[in-house]
Amino acid sequence: MKLGKDEIQKLILASLIVMGVVYSYFNLLLGPLAKSQEATRKSVTALGPEIAAAKAQIKRTEEVEKTAPASMETLRRVMAMIPEGSPVAWFPPRVSDFFKKQGLDKTSTRLNTEVVEKEMVGFRRMNWGIDLPKVGFVPFATALAALENEEPLLEINNLQLDVSREEVEMQHALLTVSNIVKQ
Amino acid sequence: MALHLNLYHEVLKAKALKRRDPLKLSMYGLAAVIACFAGYYVLELVKLHSINSELTRVKVEFDKLEPLAKTARKREEDLQSQMKAGNLLVKRVENRFYWAPLLEQVMQVVPREVQLTRLSGDLTGDGLRRCSLSIDGLSAGTDPRKVAEDLRTAFTEKFSTKYKNVSSKFRTLEDGTEMISLDGKQVPTATFAITVDLYSGEELIAAQPARKKK
Repeated sequence: MKLGKDEIQKLILASLIVMGVVYSYFNLLLGPLAKSQEATRKSVTALGPEIAAAKAQIKRTEEVEKTAPASMETLRRVMAMIPEGSPVAWFPPRVSDFFKKQGLDKTSTRLNTEVVEKEMVGFRRMNWGIDLPKVGFVPFATALAALENEEPLLEINNLQLDVSREEVEMQHALLTVSNIVKQ
Repeated sequence: MALHLNLYHEVLKAKALKRRDPLKLSMYGLAAVIACFAGYYVLELVKLHSINSELTRVKVEFDKLEPLAKTARKREEDLQSQMKAGNLLVKRVENRFYWAPLLEQVMQVVPREVQLTRLSGDLTGDGLRRCSLSIDGLSAGTDPRKVAEDLRTAFTEKFSTKYKNVSSKFRTLEDGTEMISLDGKQVPTATFAITVDLYSGEELIAAQPARKKK
């Protein structure tokens, strides 16, 4: 079939229209739609692990809550052993009363330093000097044993015993102790 | 055979030409292609809608879970820090160094020929605790230096039953200038100063072994 000049022009025009339609379809309609689909899919995929992590976190916390009471009980007991208020107000009288009960009347306690416990949140360590100017060795050792048994939060870091020059039977005792208190 | 005369051949030819018009045919083809494209586009739109619905569902779930997870994380951190503090407290209480048994052992070791004039002890370290004792005194007897030496070895032997790595050494051991009366006899004296080092508790590193590189 032989095409005339008029027909060839029409064919070229039709081809141009087809190309325009195809270009517009892919670039102006299907392209943005595909992009939008991809972005939405990515959002869905990205939220997946976050949801899984959130669920895992909630589960982990529930498990920790199940095991916590046993450990918390110990902490509660320890907290109950520490009196309320400033340690400077209650610790020296407590020490004096303790040694009086043990038959050692003369005691003086002073605060040396105070250290914040970084690892134990909510607690601090206080270092004290306890001076017992006149004690017998055996009563002192007995009192010391009782002190170590009755005060689990207290530890003796330094101990010094000097024989009294006036009375050979008596000693001058100096203790440096640390005590854990609430912050 | 009958003779047929087509008097409309011009009209028919024009009609046939009109039927085969390339532009018209192209337009038909184009319309078909456009219909396919439109159908595919609608399909894609439906797919997008379904993905959007999925995203909305997931977002709603995440919005519900996120605050719960945040609260849970905070609660877990609080619980963990409280549990850690509790465990550390228990460990500290259990690893305390007790001085009373040490004084009891000193009392058992010191013989009647010796008088202690000064005793001091210093505790250092966490976990594995090092206790350094400094003992000053006066020994008496026919051989006061031997009495002091016996005391030093007795300290090592006695403390070794309860403590680790016990070592003792003389800081000073000198003959005394005074004579004292012991069991009715005048005997010479010696002054001494002994340092005893001993360890108790466990090394903290042992509880948490460091990872070795292969």
